[in-house]
Amino acid sequence: MPKAQNSPKASQNLSARSEFWAGVREEMPLIFGVAPFGLVFGVLGLESGLTPWQTILMSSILFGGASQIVFAQLWAAGVPPLIVGGSVCVINTRHVLYSASIAAYLRHLPLRWRILLGYLLTDEAYAISIRRFQHDPPGPHQHFHLLGSGMLLWTSWQFSTIFGVLVGGTIPDSWSLSFAIPLTFIAIVAPILKTRADLAAAATAGTIAILGQPLPWNLWLITAAIGGILAGWLVNRLNHQAGATS
Amino acid sequence: MIWFIMIAAGLFTFATRFIMLSNGISNRPPPWLVDALGFVPIAVLTAIIVPAILIDPADQTIALWDNPRLFAAALAIIAALVTRQMITTIGVGIVALWVLQWAM
Repeated sequence: MPKAQNSPKASQNLSARSEFWAGVREEMPLIFGVAPFGLVFGVLGLESGLTPWQTILMSSILFGGASQIVFAQLWAAGVPPLIVGGSVCVINTRHVLYSASIAAYLRHLPLRWRILLGYLLTDEAYAISIRRFQHDPPGPHQHFHLLGSGMLLWTSWQFSTIFGVLVGGTIPDSWSLSFAIPLTFIAIVAPILKTRADLAAAATAGTIAILGQPLPWNLWLITAAIGGILAGWLVNRLNHQAGATS
Repeated sequence: MIWFIMIAAGLFTFATRFIMLSNGISNRPPPWLVDALGFVPIAVLTAIIVPAILIDPADQTIALWDNPRLFAAALAIIAALVTRQMITTIGVGIVALWVLQWAM
């Protein structure tokens, strides 16, 4: 990021406007990944039997890419609604982490600001704005940075979903556009597999996802997710214990 | 029913984002929970990736050697590790799939 890391003093007391536009500017590169993803969701939503309105409004109501894809796929498979909702919730619990990590920088704000910024707190906006909060000197308007990154992401997500809904029917099946979903997730997961615990989580989740295919109601997804989390957590814990005793 | 589930899940999702920003909770979540939540993206996304690559959409069986998606995904993984760019990863994977489907 071309942020003012060389001249930290320069970024103190930035105006609300320059904080906002810094957030927008730094979020920009991530939009190249988000926009195709939103488009694919728009296409997939219709293919799953959701109405155009259900597909478009889900992008505002859930505002979480992976969980929306899962919602559409499970709904299309005729999975009972409670399991659809439960799976979506499990996937989205990770936001508690972002919320906890960014709280120190936002907790002094009025409630309406915290509600707005909480709603905008996605993987991508968090990743960009936490860098500004942690590495640049604090400023009285620094929350505008998250407003900028969050609003660019929100706008791109809504427009790409709408675009997907509008053009969806005209894209031929032979383009295999739905393959963009696993590809998007590969782009996220492959670079973050670093420790043995990460690999254990991925291997366990992948194995259960295949072996669990015969389970009713697509329960393989939630089982694989929970199994992967447990495996990663256990290996992590064993590593720490081994490190502590050696 | 779909609206009810969507709005309920949406409220839950908002709660997960807002919870630590509310003034009601002043402590960070316990360390074991932080550790566990850290594995959510890897576990969930891998659980979506693997069947999307290995299960043949035509007949719902596991496809290995005669499976262009498997080889396209392998190339995409290499692209992701080398470039760390989403657009390049998607581009490499989808073009590889087109070429392989045409060739195999």
